[in-house]
Amino acid sequence: MRTWIIAQNTFRESVRDKVLYVLLLFAIASVLGSKAIGWISIGQDIKIVKDFTLASMSVFGALIAIFVGTSLLYKEIDKRTLYTILSQPMRRWEFVLGKFLGLALLLGLVVLAMTALSALYLLVLGGTPDATYFLAALLIYFKLLLVTAFAVLLSSAASPILGAIVVFALYVFGHATGVFLDLPAQFDGTFSKTLLEGLYYVFPNLSNFDIRAEAANGVAISPGYVLFAMAYGTLYSAAVLIAAVWAFEGKDV
Amino acid sequence: MHAITARGLTKVYKNVAKADKRSLDDLSISIREGEVFGFLGHNGAGKTTTIKILCGLARATSGEASLFGTDVRDPACRAKLGYLPEQPYFYEYLTPRETIEFYGRLRGRTPEQRTADWERLSLLLDLRDIADQRIKSFSKGMRQRIGFAVALVGDPPLLILDEPMSGLDPVGRRNIRQLMLRCRDEGKTLFFSSHVLGDVEQICDRVSILSRGKLIREGRIGQLLGEEPHGVEVTAAGLGEADRAALVPAAREHRRLEEQDLFVFDSAQAAQEAAQAIIAAGARLESVTPLKQSLEEFFMKEHGASKPEAQA
Repeated sequence: MRTWIIAQNTFRESVRDKVLYVLLLFAIASVLGSKAIGWISIGQDIKIVKDFTLASMSVFGALIAIFVGTSLLYKEIDKRTLYTILSQPMRRWEFVLGKFLGLALLLGLVVLAMTALSALYLLVLGGTPDATYFLAALLIYFKLLLVTAFAVLLSSAASPILGAIVVFALYVFGHATGVFLDLPAQFDGTFSKTLLEGLYYVFPNLSNFDIRAEAANGVAISPGYVLFAMAYGTLYSAAVLIAAVWAFEGKDV
Repeated sequence: MHAITARGLTKVYKNVAKADKRSLDDLSISIREGEVFGFLGHNGAGKTTTIKILCGLARATSGEASLFGTDVRDPACRAKLGYLPEQPYFYEYLTPRETIEFYGRLRGRTPEQRTADWERLSLLLDLRDIADQRIKSFSKGMRQRIGFAVALVGDPPLLILDEPMSGLDPVGRRNIRQLMLRCRDEGKTLFFSSHVLGDVEQICDRVSILSRGKLIREGRIGQLLGEEPHGVEVTAAGLGEADRAALVPAAREHRRLEEQDLFVFDSAQAAQEAAQAIIAAGARLESVTPLKQSLEEFFMKEHGASKPEAQA
């Protein structure tokens, strides 16, 4: 119950901090960006718009997750608002989970609004957003939850700037973990290969959530894969959140 | 039952670059229910560290503490606690009404109880005119009032207040002092740190003095300052030179104040003899006043004695 109160308040804070203005930026970027690329790829308009809007959702969502997420706990400690909250009869994990859920709620609203705007734009252009398009948006949301969990973990220990840099690096590398496995033959049997293969399994593999190409080309995706990606995101996010709670539990504020 | 108990509380802040800092060293205190307890000490003496441990914001390195018999590490004990931090900060985007509502919900108050809390606290702390303005624009005094209101949400029996009067103007200080007296009259236990010794003297039943993380004195104010006067002040007018000269050697202190002479004697006996001599000399005896040590004088003396250079 207290977790939910903290979540609601975190959501309210983000709304009052005008985080939702990012939706306006998304709309402008999607329309202008897809138009610009559409001019240089004749006859591919709908495909380009689908591809571009999904990429924009991922980037703008990640910007919110990283910049709001990495300051979630740090701001509370720095501004000392935490003093009167943790001195209430509540457990610290309730607070950390509440902060995460508040941002997850906001991201849910943002992804929903971005999906609705994109679908409307596609309809106006004469296209039809199919099931794969909506599933792609759903998996983007699960990816954003994982990024948010990392941001919350970092915010309990690092300044927002450092946290944002680390989570941004994770976001970029997370989309390219495949390179850790596709090493040239000269690496065979070396320590570097073992290390990088190990990192492949430790690093979050964000490309698991990426079905943008399938959505743009209207290729159906199996429900089994979607469920796998959702389960991967949920379990990984839970593990990172447990680490965040553990880091915050023993912290003097 | 004791409202607050601490046994051997020690807090060491680890520092990789510098030496570890021992902020609190084997502190033991007990505060009875209904008592008003003042926690004194200079900056960095360990007052805020103690308060943070009691309120669940920091963990003691060793030792134990409890509120109403429940270990401070158990969040349940904070259901009976209202806490006002030094310079309280709240969510700037909330209004006072929303703030009281938010903390009421965190404390598990029902909607009816939360409405009653707002009615009671907004009247007590004079928050009605600013009920729906965002805290962002508020002055320190207004924030302190909201902080006090938050501490009183749910009517907890124990209040821990960290420097509740610091940085306030005289009117703000008087308001907070009156609130504290009111809470005392309602039977609440008050534990507060303060630099404003005059206020401590007026409000507290007992005080403790902390220096460099150690408890150096604790007791009732009367006990610490001494029930006996520590001197007697005698003033007289119209004394001749010879009479004055006869009185000065027996006095601890002598000053000329225009027409008057002011003498301070160490004992009541010496003051009585001087008064008789003044009357016998035909001068006018204006006043005889027993002097009591102020808490400030006591604090400065104790604080000075606890410094290593003073001990050396």
